[in-house]
Amino acid sequence: MSDDSHGADHAPTMHDIDKPSSLVVVFLIVIGLSAANIGLSLTGLGKLALPVQLAIGVVQACLVANYWMHLRRKDTVVTLTALSSLFFMFIMFVLTLSDYLTRHYAAM
Amino acid sequence: MSASTHSPVLKHHFDNLEQQHSAERLGMWMFLVTEVLFFGGLFCAYTAYRIWFPHEFEFASSKLILWIAVLNTALLITSSLTMTFAIRAAQLGQKKSLINYLVITFLLGAAFLGFKAFEYYTDYQEKYVPGPIFQKAYADAQHDLTHGHHPEHSPAAELAEHNAGKQPGDAGYLSPQRVQLFLCLYYIMTGIHGIHILVGLGCIAWLVLEAGLNRIPRENYSTVEVVSLYWHLVDMIWLFLMPLLYLTGAGLGKH
Repeated sequence: MSDDSHGADHAPTMHDIDKPSSLVVVFLIVIGLSAANIGLSLTGLGKLALPVQLAIGVVQACLVANYWMHLRRKDTVVTLTALSSLFFMFIMFVLTLSDYLTRHYAAM
Repeated sequence: MSASTHSPVLKHHFDNLEQQHSAERLGMWMFLVTEVLFFGGLFCAYTAYRIWFPHEFEFASSKLILWIAVLNTALLITSSLTMTFAIRAAQLGQKKSLINYLVITFLLGAAFLGFKAFEYYTDYQEKYVPGPIFQKAYADAQHDLTHGHHPEHSPAAELAEHNAGKQPGDAGYLSPQRVQLFLCLYYIMTGIHGIHILVGLGCIAWLVLEAGLNRIPRENYSTVEVVSLYWHLVDMIWLFLMPLLYLTGAGLGKH
C-alpha cells in the first residue's frame, strides 16, 4: 500500500478508489476474451477446445479477482483466504478424479 | 483514541474504520471460499462425467440455446462493470450516481434471469428435460423412425435419428441416458447459479433502499463493496459455466 492510505480513517483514500479507465479496460478485455472464446469454439477447436476454453476462463477470473474484487490491494489475509479456496478445490479434484479416472484398472 | 471513534458508522468493537472495512471484506471472502467449494463439487462431478462420456456431452451441449448464453454472458459482465462503478460512486459520496449504478446492475441481473427463464421454457417446450419427458420423446421418435414416419423435431428425435440402425456399444452410438446426465448437470448448475443471481438481486435492492435512506455515507462504502464481491464471484462462476455447458458442443461436426 502507498503511504497515503495510512492514517485516513474517515474517507476512502485515493488509493482505494478505482480509476474509471482501468475498470473499463478490464471490462473490455474480459468481454473480448468471452467473444474470442465463443468465436474459437464455433470454428471447432477439436481436442484443443477444453484446454483453450478453460485457459480463457482462468485469465478472465484472474482479471475479475485482481481488479474488480480488489485482490490487487494486497491485503495478505484476504489473498490467503482466496487462495485457500483453490488449494481445497485442488485436493477435491485430485482425490475424486484419482478414483473416477482409474476405475478401469480394477477390471484388469 | 483517534478521531475516527466518533464516526457514526464505526462499530464499537473496532479500533478504526480501516480495520472495520478489512474485517467486513475478510468475512465476505470467507463465505466466498465456501461458495467456490460448493460450486467446485459440481464442477468436479461435471469433469468426471465429461471425461467418461465426451461424445454424449458434446452432442447434448450442442442442442442448448447458444445465443441466450452469449447474450447472458454480455449482460452479466456488464453488470459487474456497473457494480464496480457503484462502489466508486459510494467512495466518492455521490448518492445519486450510486443509486443509478445499482439500479442498472439490478436491471442487467434481472434481464439475465428473464432470458434464463425463457431458455428453460424453450427447453421444456422442446422436451429437453431429463427424465420421463425426454425418454418418451426419444421412444416416440424411435417408433416413428422404425415405421417410416418423420419424427417431430426435438433434440431427443435428433438423437434417435443419429442412433438409428446402431446398437448400444456400436461405434458412434450415443447413450440417451448419458445425454440426460449432461442435462441433469446443466439444470442443477444453471439453476443453482440462477438462485445465486436472485439472492444477489435481493442484496442490490437492499443497497438501493439503504442508499436512498442515506444509510451509506462515504466512509461506509464497504457495504457496497461486500455485496459487489459476491456479485463478481457469481459472474466469475458463469464465466466457467458458459464454456463448459454451452461451448462444449459449439464446434460439433467441424472436425
